[in-house]
Amino acid sequence: MNAKHEDEMIIRNATVVNADGEREADVWIRNGKIEAVGRGLTRPAAREVDARGKHLFPGFVDLHAHLRTPGREDEEDFASGSRAAAKGGFTTLFCMPNTEPAIDLEGIAWWVREEGRRVGLVDIYPVGSITRERKGKILTEFCALRHAGCRTLSDDGDSLADSLLMRRAFEYAKLADVLLVSHCEDAQLSQGNSMRESRISSRYGISAVPDIAESIIAARDIALAQYTGGRLHLAHVSSAKTVTLLRQARAAGVRVTAETCPHYLVFTVEDVEKSGFDSHYKVNPPLGTADDRAALRAALRDGILDCVATDHAPHSRIEKELPFEDAPFGINGLETAFSALYTHLVLTGACTLPQIIRSLSFAPAAVAGFTDRGAIAPGYTADLVLADLSRCWTVTEEEWCSKSVNTPFLSRKLSGVIECTWYRGRITYQEQRSG
Amino acid sequence: MLGIKALPREEIEAIFSLAKSFQEISTREVKKVPALRGKTLINLFFENSTRTRTSFELAAKRLSADVVNFSASSSSLAKGETIIDTVKNLEAYHPDIFVIRVGSSAALYALTQHTEASIVNAGDGRNEHPTQALLDMFTVSQQLGSCEKLKVLIVGDILHSRVARSNMFGFRKFASQIILCGPPSLVPFDCAEEGIRVEYDLDAAVESADVIIMLRVQQERQTSAFFPSLREYSKNYALTPRRLARARKDALVLHPGPVNWDVEIHSSLKWRVHPLILKQAENGLAVRMAVLFSVGTKKRTL
Ligand SMILES: [Zn+2]
Repeated sequence: MNAKHEDEMIIRNATVVNADGEREADVWIRNGKIEAVGRGLTRPAAREVDARGKHLFPGFVDLHAHLRTPGREDEEDFASGSRAAAKGGFTTLFCMPNTEPAIDLEGIAWWVREEGRRVGLVDIYPVGSITRERKGKILTEFCALRHAGCRTLSDDGDSLADSLLMRRAFEYAKLADVLLVSHCEDAQLSQGNSMRESRISSRYGISAVPDIAESIIAARDIALAQYTGGRLHLAHVSSAKTVTLLRQARAAGVRVTAETCPHYLVFTVEDVEKSGFDSHYKVNPPLGTADDRAALRAALRDGILDCVATDHAPHSRIEKELPFEDAPFGINGLETAFSALYTHLVLTGACTLPQIIRSLSFAPAAVAGFTDRGAIAPGYTADLVLADLSRCWTVTEEEWCSKSVNTPFLSRKLSGVIECTWYRGRITYQEQRSG
Repeated sequence: MLGIKALPREEIEAIFSLAKSFQEISTREVKKVPALRGKTLINLFFENSTRTRTSFELAAKRLSADVVNFSASSSSLAKGETIIDTVKNLEAYHPDIFVIRVGSSAALYALTQHTEASIVNAGDGRNEHPTQALLDMFTVSQQLGSCEKLKVLIVGDILHSRVARSNMFGFRKFASQIILCGPPSLVPFDCAEEGIRVEYDLDAAVESADVIIMLRVQQERQTSAFFPSLREYSKNYALTPRRLARARKDALVLHPGPVNWDVEIHSSLKWRVHPLILKQAENGLAVRMAVLFSVGTKKRTL
């Protein structure tokens, strides 16, 4: 383990950003916990970090990442994924079970949790699958998976086609106290097609997915959650129609939360065209229209969309070199998430910085049921991110941590540089200043 | 040339006037000019198409270019070799022109940065088939004097047709009106662009059309439920003598070939429509010579 233990430390004069606002303050950390937050804290014995002019955030919580392990360690493993997460400011990360084998047994969940601990850079939680081998036929042992550390369950990559089975899952999840995360996709409507059905898909004859492929299943799962009184979390919301359903469900008191991803907040189908159908823009669900993006941004401001998750989906270079229609879905997202949101949402005035921090830290921590993280406040875990928002960086392969580089941000300039990440008071990432 | 979408009208007209002058070469005793002597053309086909490949090959040979045919099955893609790899490998031979046919829509845009050679799109998935549209338009302007301000009716499986897309974009550059006609399940989403009208009733649509482009219908569309049966399809969308009688007397009927007689066009109309369809093939050679000449002499990707 290369990160050294910082027993006691004061971070001075940082702009501390929480979900409810920002203020200049000192943060006193001891034994991996935040002791105090305030102006002019005195603690002579403590090591001091001068953070004047910099911003301090609660460590980010990613409810949705693919670490490809076990099975595709050539694309990502726990070590590379953890380094990428730490670099991106993440201190808690949920890894999806569409692995080989799937995370459908407590032993596998246990192993994931242990391997994550061994790397020790980020708190990795396994997401268990809802059905055995993610086949949509037989429920997994929810209680055993919960015992092995699964706070959430998902068959991510697929929806449960069987509505009765999904109903049973909602009912049984109450016993196990697990949250069901739904990947909303009507597979008959989507047919594995490549981009959002739109003027552009029609102009270029690209096989297309209508937005209702998402919202039809979202509507069903909201109805099931309401009927059973179960809890539902919608993964990677990409369309205005699903946002509308979410608003109605919230107003009706349904226990539903949701996430979107940086790429849906930044890009649209127009960017797919502009890129010359670069498969780095191919993702599932596919990128939406400008109207979808506007609806997602508005919902993020309102908090109707609670979280931003990365849906970090590493893919090998050769697979992403295939033509757009043949390449696999997915965007590599851990290292660019914050800077992408800061550059494209905060600097453009679409969202405030506290709204972004709410969606990256506070809200996902609450959704996953944590009471010890997601805010910079006394008693909370010392999961912290220090960033210099006045600086820019260019996304390059040389400084990339993930094993795969399938990102549409490659070679782009982003604002907001993460300088340091602390996980339980320990440094897990520190920017190497060149020159 | 990757598609008609990005091709300015002036370039289309330039290709037509070149094609006109090349037409005569094919009637000579010695069917060859040295226009592209010393140039190398690679026909790179990831999808079988003997007709299109032959037409390009002949066009290149009549211009004295050296032609190599390279058929790569799409299975080699599955094995991990990508189109980019294949093009980079062939790039080692310093070709001047790649003519590429590929099954994936819009697959060629990403290729341009990987080769110094010009690329001519010989059909990329459902996106475009620009030389087919150029030969259709060339044929029309030979017959009617121009492609200007016409009513162009495109009939059949528009959703899956690269020929329809290229023609749509091409004729619109000449202020022609496009009418798409086919079963609603085979008309692409959101066609309400300027100048494009959708009409599901062929009887109504043929009226006052100057040009009728009939598309090939694939048997497999029936099995994936785009329409219930070929019988019902032809009942609604085959060009019959009765329907053709509703059109203008001098209306041109085009088909990219090969025709499924009695499915797309009633066979009793063969005498009426076949000569022009064969003329299309002949014009295709001249148009492809013009395209190859214009991309082969100036290094560029049109
Ligand atoms: Zn998913």
